[in-house]
Amino acid sequence: MEMFELNELILRKAKELGFGDAVVLAYETNRRQVRFANNEITVAKNWHERKVELFVELDKRIAGTTITELSEETIERTLKTLLSNMKGMSPKEDYYGIAEGPFEYKNIPETFDKAIVELDEPNEYVERAINSALEEGAKRVAGVLYTDHNRIYLTTSNGVEAFDEGTGIEISVRAFIGDLESGHGTNSVRVLKKFDPESAGRKAGEIASLAKNPEQGPEGRFDVIFDPLAFANLLSYMSFMTSAYAAEAGFSPFVNKLGQKVANEIVTIKDVGNLPNGYGSRKFDDEGVPTRETTIIDGGTFKAFLLNTSLARKYKTETTANAGLIMPHAWNVVLEPGDYSKEELFDEVERGIYVTNVWYTRFQNYVTGDFSTIPRDGIFLIEDGNLKPIRNIRVSDNLLGILSRVEVVSRESHHVHWWEVETPVTTPYVLVKDVGITRATK
Amino acid sequence: MHELVEFAVEKALELGADYAEARFEEKNGTSLAMKNGSPEGLEVLADRGIGVRVLVGGGMGFASTNVLTKESVAEAVKKAVKLAKSASRVRNEPIRFSEEDFHSVYYEVKMRKDFRDVSPEEKLELLRKIEEEVKGTGVNVPMRYLSYSDQIWHKIMANSDGAFIESIIPRVSMMYNLVVFENGQMEQAPFVERAFSGGLELIEKDEPWKWAVKDVKALKRLIYEGKKPPEGKIDLVISPEVAGIAVHESVGHPYEADRIFGREAAQAGESFVKPDMLGERIGSEAVTVIEDPTIPNSWGFYLYDDEGVKARPRYLIKDGIITEFLTNREYAYKLGQRSNAAARAINYNREPIVRMANTYLAPGDYSFEELIEEVKLGVYMVSFNEWNIDDRRYQQRYIGSEAYLIENGEIKHPVRRPILEITTRALWSSVDAVGREVEFYPGTCGKGEPGQGIPVWMGGAHARLRDIPLRY
Repeated sequence: MEMFELNELILRKAKELGFGDAVVLAYETNRRQVRFANNEITVAKNWHERKVELFVELDKRIAGTTITELSEETIERTLKTLLSNMKGMSPKEDYYGIAEGPFEYKNIPETFDKAIVELDEPNEYVERAINSALEEGAKRVAGVLYTDHNRIYLTTSNGVEAFDEGTGIEISVRAFIGDLESGHGTNSVRVLKKFDPESAGRKAGEIASLAKNPEQGPEGRFDVIFDPLAFANLLSYMSFMTSAYAAEAGFSPFVNKLGQKVANEIVTIKDVGNLPNGYGSRKFDDEGVPTRETTIIDGGTFKAFLLNTSLARKYKTETTANAGLIMPHAWNVVLEPGDYSKEELFDEVERGIYVTNVWYTRFQNYVTGDFSTIPRDGIFLIEDGNLKPIRNIRVSDNLLGILSRVEVVSRESHHVHWWEVETPVTTPYVLVKDVGITRATK
Repeated sequence: MHELVEFAVEKALELGADYAEARFEEKNGTSLAMKNGSPEGLEVLADRGIGVRVLVGGGMGFASTNVLTKESVAEAVKKAVKLAKSASRVRNEPIRFSEEDFHSVYYEVKMRKDFRDVSPEEKLELLRKIEEEVKGTGVNVPMRYLSYSDQIWHKIMANSDGAFIESIIPRVSMMYNLVVFENGQMEQAPFVERAFSGGLELIEKDEPWKWAVKDVKALKRLIYEGKKPPEGKIDLVISPEVAGIAVHESVGHPYEADRIFGREAAQAGESFVKPDMLGERIGSEAVTVIEDPTIPNSWGFYLYDDEGVKARPRYLIKDGIITEFLTNREYAYKLGQRSNAAARAINYNREPIVRMANTYLAPGDYSFEELIEEVKLGVYMVSFNEWNIDDRRYQQRYIGSEAYLIENGEIKHPVRRPILEITTRALWSSVDAVGREVEFYPGTCGKGEPGQGIPVWMGGAHARLRDIPLRY
């Protein structure tokens, strides 16, 4: 049975059983992975999955499930189980429905490439990335390569029938010289001709080479230049906090901040669901609304939470096309670039710190935004135009504080998506004033 | 399903695999959430599939499918073999597995109160109980996010070395995020979880609502009475919860053999621990850290790992000395050892990798009163919010949430956000006494790519640390 026929069958049966709103989102995914470490492949993987995500509503009671065995019998049994479970349940009082379709969809440039589907074996790209890192002086190289091919079929009880097909290829490379000297580079694209595994390997190798013989770093307040890899991590965490759902659940410092200044005026942050060549781009959200650009922070002012239709109606506004039927989420976060070259940005700092990557970002308090994160890979003390390798420091600050102290953003931007940056982020190099830096003293 | 698992193993051998392993996993369950008093809806989990892992010519391949037909499984096997073959060409040395004794075993965890017989509305009542009890304290808690989850994990794994393991493990958990707003200040108890392997009776006995009440009362008191903690070198008594995160982050993780050998270098990182550090002192004589998957009803419970090796308690540190790493068959072979059964996969579509299960600071012989009464000036850290550690597991920090001043052997007023930022060696060398009672706290440990958030318990006894440079 074709996937749309299957979707229709599920919708028809849901209607027969008396459900109200119903959304059927079917996926076919083919994903490959090549993992490597110590300059050799540690494992190669392949995933083939077919599944249907189902969302149903019954008098404001809502439920979701996933069906993987797509027989008529399983579908019927699943729907009946949901029905009997939902009948005695209390309603979600603040449920306001799903989007009214149909909609028209536009192709997003550079999100599908047959060449990726037909790619037989991607090991060659891994070897190229490893070799570029080794050429820069690295001794050990580790990382991961993925290829993706996804088909999505969406049908809703409100007249939506939508299809999207996407591809992607990405690599994440970490290069080491000794135990303490490392660098990281990534490259994530949707079409093969834009794929540049060497650039990721080269960057990882270059930073590792610059980071030789690091000394214990200082503590205090410093002007910090965040590499796109590092700032993407913070913006990825931030994007979760801009979901209206996260705000209601007590996981956001943006609560009660609509219309208020939350960042320096040079900061404009958007979510762009239809970003060409964006790793998170998709034609429509989970209820079928065509994805778009939503300005979250405009010139330093907090403009919008990310919404689905139900939450939008609750707050008497329009959806931002970020469903998640339960929790809206960002697709691709974009920090608008500035007009400084990378060199000019570094010239702005007389004494400061260059952080090339971070990990383990954790919050003491999500509502105030107090957090810390750990720089990893090359960290450099900037003094009179020189980069001196340091180690063992921690960025300990406040998320809104960081945003309000953004001093300069570069022209050059990078699209980042890897293990530590789940929501893809496009960001320039960012100079932040007076960033809190701590370290262990025993 | 047994036949399909066996078919996958046989098919792989037929296609030239030197080693083959197939694992069927099925997960069924329900989850419910409540946000600020309003039910968010029901999620019904029904997921199943097969994963196949093979070694061919020293290369490793893995493929999975959730289309459970013979054709689709054969296709996955074919892919795994092909991937392993081509991976073997980019190897410096072939992957080999340690020799182990394998068994044919069935085991299951029994539920006294089977959550499958309980309606979603009754499960919502458990969340409502937290709502009501929290409201009953009179503390202003404007943001409340609560969730309940139950799942049954059914696994069947077989490998070409003779293992055949089937298990059924039910899991039940509750989580809350509570934001206290009093006197113009906001404090938070985020992602607090109570979790067990077993039936609903374990949640009912544990009474998560009592934990929630304790938390909001403590946070209110912190807002009104909290003072700056003493700075400089003082003594620090850490609770089982704080000891738990510390052993997990700075003992469990760096002792994972795959990290030690660099396999996770580009993701979770490497380790400050090297193979030749076995037998080296890393802490005081008071410190013994045990990793034990076999604790009944624990969140990290299993009796056989996902490579079919029988689980046992592992002494990572004994009396301050590094005694054992966590291994799977690949890294046990590299170390010239037997695997100690730390290979775990979170689902059929993930490879088994080296993981913790239940990690704890073993009890000593001090009562809690004895630990406190010998402290002139110190802090008692009961719970923490923010924490992190570098990717070699050497520089960590834990920020206290509920914490109190200790003065002349007595616990006094709450202190605000005391910060323990310390190296691993200094942390475990500073412990001079450990309490008698052990407690456990659940968590979801992150590792692997794609990510494999895996259930673990962390815990131990209270511990007293001397001369700690506490920050604020």
